[in-house]
Amino acid sequence: MKPKIYILVVEDEPEVLDSIVRDIAEFEEYFEIEMADTAEEAEQIIQEILDNEHMIGLILCDHVLPGKNGVDLLIEMQKSERTKPTKKVLITGQAGLEETVKAVNEANLKHYIAKPWEKKELVNITRTLLTDFVIESVKDPLKYMQVLDAQRLAEEIRTGRHITDS
Amino acid sequence: MEKTKAVGLILGIIGFIIPLMIQIPGLSLAGHLAMSIFILAAIFWMFETIPIYSTSILVIFLEVILLSAEGLISHTDASYSPVAYTQFVATLADPIIILFLGGFVLADAAVKYNFDRNMSRILLKPFGTDPKYIILGLMAVTAVLSAFMSNTATTAMMITVIIPILAKTDVSDPARISIALCIPFAANIGGVATPIGTPPNAVVIAALNQQGVGIEFGSWMLYAMPLAIVMLIVAWYLLLKLHPPATSTLNLDLKGEWMKNRKAYTLYIVFALTVILWISESLHGIRSSIVALFPVAVLTLTNTFEKEDIRKLPWEVLWLIAGGISLGIAMKETGLADWVIGSIAWDQMGYLLLLSLFGVVAIVLSNFLSNTVTASLMIPLGISLATSGIIEGPASILIIGLVIALSTSFAMVLPISTPPNAIAVSTGVVKTKDMIVAGSLIGAIAMILIILMTRFYWPYIL
Repeated sequence: MKPKIYILVVEDEPEVLDSIVRDIAEFEEYFEIEMADTAEEAEQIIQEILDNEHMIGLILCDHVLPGKNGVDLLIEMQKSERTKPTKKVLITGQAGLEETVKAVNEANLKHYIAKPWEKKELVNITRTLLTDFVIESVKDPLKYMQVLDAQRLAEEIRTGRHITDS
Repeated sequence: MEKTKAVGLILGIIGFIIPLMIQIPGLSLAGHLAMSIFILAAIFWMFETIPIYSTSILVIFLEVILLSAEGLISHTDASYSPVAYTQFVATLADPIIILFLGGFVLADAAVKYNFDRNMSRILLKPFGTDPKYIILGLMAVTAVLSAFMSNTATTAMMITVIIPILAKTDVSDPARISIALCIPFAANIGGVATPIGTPPNAVVIAALNQQGVGIEFGSWMLYAMPLAIVMLIVAWYLLLKLHPPATSTLNLDLKGEWMKNRKAYTLYIVFALTVILWISESLHGIRSSIVALFPVAVLTLTNTFEKEDIRKLPWEVLWLIAGGISLGIAMKETGLADWVIGSIAWDQMGYLLLLSLFGVVAIVLSNFLSNTVTASLMIPLGISLATSGIIEGPASILIIGLVIALSTSFAMVLPISTPPNAIAVSTGVVKTKDMIVAGSLIGAIAMILIILMTRFYWPYIL
């Protein structure tokens, strides 16, 4: 079985979760989208995904969650070898400066999206970060050209020599 | 393991065993073993049970242990005097491999210093804004670059050039399809123009060299480039007929700047000098494989091409070519190639029919298999056909070599036919159906031209 790349969305408010997932629906054909409403549930899902030899390309995570908060979840993922490459994004209205700084410093936070967000912004960030992930972690970037940044993936083929004449 | 791979593994092993279980009259033990290796390699290459370059490595390994004088089997058969193992291993340093190594270093250095992209920018300028001529320009530039660089790297680079154009054209404009298809087609076509354009050329040239038929860099261009030029124009015309652009102007947004530092200048000069020396071989007499050491030496000693760059070279392609060459050696030395040729009643067919048969089989196989693999499987048989006198006529050995090399490169029907095709389809702009239609027409026309050349062109210039 070919390893799949997952997008994980963690958000406790059902309407917000829905609207995030709806906004990034265009990636669904090429990436698996998983949802969790608490950090604990997210951890469980992450474990399942990894157990099945798949990868998590991107996590879009709310900060204020019942139980463990989003920033702590991201830091934990950063510390673990297999979720370290995952691109980490906070979507939140309530993370304070201190926590945000912590996320940047300790979780290698790639982006901070303030609520309410614009669909276009979310889609662009998702595309950019998934392209980064594919370039860094996937051997054959060809099949993602259609949905991600084709220009950058072609450039990667040109300079990275993933594919050669045969 | 995927199903097809597993099937390949089982078939490969069965195929390997069969020749060892039966006794073929007139074929030595070594011939039987060579047949085992040939069948195993063919099946593994077809099913891609293991990566195609590892099949090539396996071929060399099996030849060394089963067929060489130093191997595990003592060959007492009078009809086979065992080859030294060094002969199988030495294919890795075959002059044609060295030529390719030079080409790879040059091409990778060109990418490193953006020489390829800047060249495309300069070369595209004169083609204006008419979509028809822009497509012609894109094709010409792609073909020229892919004649000296890998077809795949050239395609990837040109895709980065066309993506901004595609983004600006209307989604319903057929121009998008012709633009996206013209790049891989031109890259495939450009590859035939020079010996270093594409790996099948290497396999064929090496096999010819072993028969004492040397081919100069410029001579190859004389034999093959006219076909490349004609086919480029044919492909252009076809694409415009099949997918005529709706818009009347296209803007090529060509930004970029030449790198201006010592290393970049070194590369520009070395690139130009090497190409000039290659093309002018008949004037100075220095072999192209010796010239190829010049860029390798100068670019590394000036640190223009560094350790990391050397590591990133596509070494597996060199293994792939070497495996093909050594398979040919084994088939020839053990008498297998002659036996195969001798066991088929070729004399029923005329000269042209035979050449056409080889060409058609090559192009059909190569649509499904790697081009290099196709050339590797066919060239030993083709050469035997010529050396055994079944096909005669002037320079028949060279002509059959050209037919095989050129036919394999004109296989561009499917996304899997060549890596450039795969890249183009991955953009999502081109449907596989469009590629099949245009690719089949191009393949058919090329095949006809190649056969005409065997009759009306090559005999007069060889």
